[in-house]
Amino acid sequence: MPESPMMIGRVTRCGTRGFVGAMQISENALPVFGSLCQSEAQGGRSHVVGLVYDISITDDQFARQLAALDEVPQEQIADGQLNRQVPVEFSALAVGFNDDEGFHQSLPPQPPLTLASIYSMAPGDAVDFTSQFHFLQTILNAPQLPVDELLTTALRLSAQARPEEERERFLLQAGREVARLLAQDLTRLENILRGLHAKE
Amino acid sequence: MGIHLPSLLPQMQEFGQALYERSLELSATIPKAIKALHLTAELDHSDLQSKIKKAGNRWTGAIPTGETLNLTFPSPATPQSLHVIGADGSQIYPDRHAAAFYYLINIGSIVVSHGSGEAPTIQQESKLFYKLEDLYDEAGHPVQNAYVNLRRDVAEMKTLAERAESLASEQTLAILDNSLLLWMALQTGGSTSRETDRTLQQYLKLLDRLHSSEAGLAGFIDRPRSVSVLALIHLAGLPNDQITQDTVRLTPFRGLTDRAIFTKLLPPGHRSALFISASPLNRDFRTAGHEVHFFYLKTDADDTVVRVEIPTWVAQDPELLNRVHAGILQDCQTTGGFPYTLVRAHELAVIPPQERAAFEEMLQRTLLGHGLRPTQSQKALTKQLTGQRKQHRL
Repeated sequence: MPESPMMIGRVTRCGTRGFVGAMQISENALPVFGSLCQSEAQGGRSHVVGLVYDISITDDQFARQLAALDEVPQEQIADGQLNRQVPVEFSALAVGFNDDEGFHQSLPPQPPLTLASIYSMAPGDAVDFTSQFHFLQTILNAPQLPVDELLTTALRLSAQARPEEERERFLLQAGREVARLLAQDLTRLENILRGLHAKE
Repeated sequence: MGIHLPSLLPQMQEFGQALYERSLELSATIPKAIKALHLTAELDHSDLQSKIKKAGNRWTGAIPTGETLNLTFPSPATPQSLHVIGADGSQIYPDRHAAAFYYLINIGSIVVSHGSGEAPTIQQESKLFYKLEDLYDEAGHPVQNAYVNLRRDVAEMKTLAERAESLASEQTLAILDNSLLLWMALQTGGSTSRETDRTLQQYLKLLDRLHSSEAGLAGFIDRPRSVSVLALIHLAGLPNDQITQDTVRLTPFRGLTDRAIFTKLLPPGHRSALFISASPLNRDFRTAGHEVHFFYLKTDADDTVVRVEIPTWVAQDPELLNRVHAGILQDCQTTGGFPYTLVRAHELAVIPPQERAAFEEMLQRTLLGHGLRPTQSQKALTKQLTGQRKQHRL
């Protein structure tokens, strides 16, 4: 996780429940699945906290034509990856917001506006934000997302943002909260807990 | 409300039938044209030159060079490393119905360094023309679209020259997605002729710069409709005493193109002999040391035949001529017979509708910011209103 926030894109579509960002590909700036990001809203009075749940690269006929060849020169591959105006799109689920009073784990009052900058969340902020677990409910309630995998990865990344000696305790607390939320669905709970344990 | 398709149906049937019949006729004519080319190749060079002289200044056929007319030339060895520069342009034409009178030229360019493995360098340059001297000629007439095209062509060549100069000590090939001859200079018409001449001189100076940079230079014309070699073989078949303005025009190859015969003649990767363009415009180019030569080239195995135009200093330098020939083939390998650099230069230059809309919105905000009320003409407004209506389709 980068030490300081890094701009990872700009908002192209947004709503209260989340936003979509786009950028030109750069491996350094590529957000990872399950990571937290922030984007300014309400004219700078708040920042929406998003959890990246999908990263996609739009194709086009030219890319398809080149992809179908047996051999593509390295210069053209580099051109396609670094220069062409085909943005990487990533989608983030709104899991909270930040204002003068600190982090809140509820839907934001307003979404960010088009072309607002999106930044990765600094480790310190990620630790602050995930010190409460209300956002887990927001993830579990999100329709049509790979919820279990997203939740597992988000918790694992949040653990990594903490000092090594605190990680296990964090994951145990998170596991307890997940167990409380999924008490009626033991199969899913078992899968998530197994995922947390395996990736510790 | 758009095209009346029912009334076009019978016309479409006739159109299809006519195209079919014409293709049969042309297929029968191609072997005759090829035979005539072989016969022309056997003619004495001085006899051919005297026929061309007799055809006069208005004849626009292909003038032979020292190369045998019906020979084909295989691809030279591909250079180990080669920088290929591509440039292309697009524009927003001046529109008297728009909120403001202006035009815009957008140039995209790319340098692909073959053999380097590195990402190409790309460049986009947009320039807005809004000053009185940009928009009106000396007689006060507003600029025409043809003049904007002329300025765009010059801007494309300027980009090629600048990028070639930055690679002056390297093996470089600059490709223009257009004819090297500045055809628009012939089409801009009377009132702007002095400005057109100035622009032509600027263009020729840019060719000087490219020559000094020691880059190879080529104008790439995909799917050419040119008939200049056919005009030559028709002229060659005329007895000297029958060469008149009328007889040189009465060609038996009407409807056929040079491309059709070279598609049959050229193996993949081969080029035709070199010719010189007899266009009147080429006289200015010859005077400036850039007389335009051309050859046909089969760029892939799928019968893609293109016309490649080169200045005289490339035509007369075997190393540069080979660089153009092999470099274009190398650049066409992954893109179906059309150069990769030009595909990308076009992509960088083109102004998509959504970007144009964003630009016009920016312009309107700017006008408002200066206390000006941006208004479109009533005609433009009503076109927008009626254009939004959707027709129900059955």
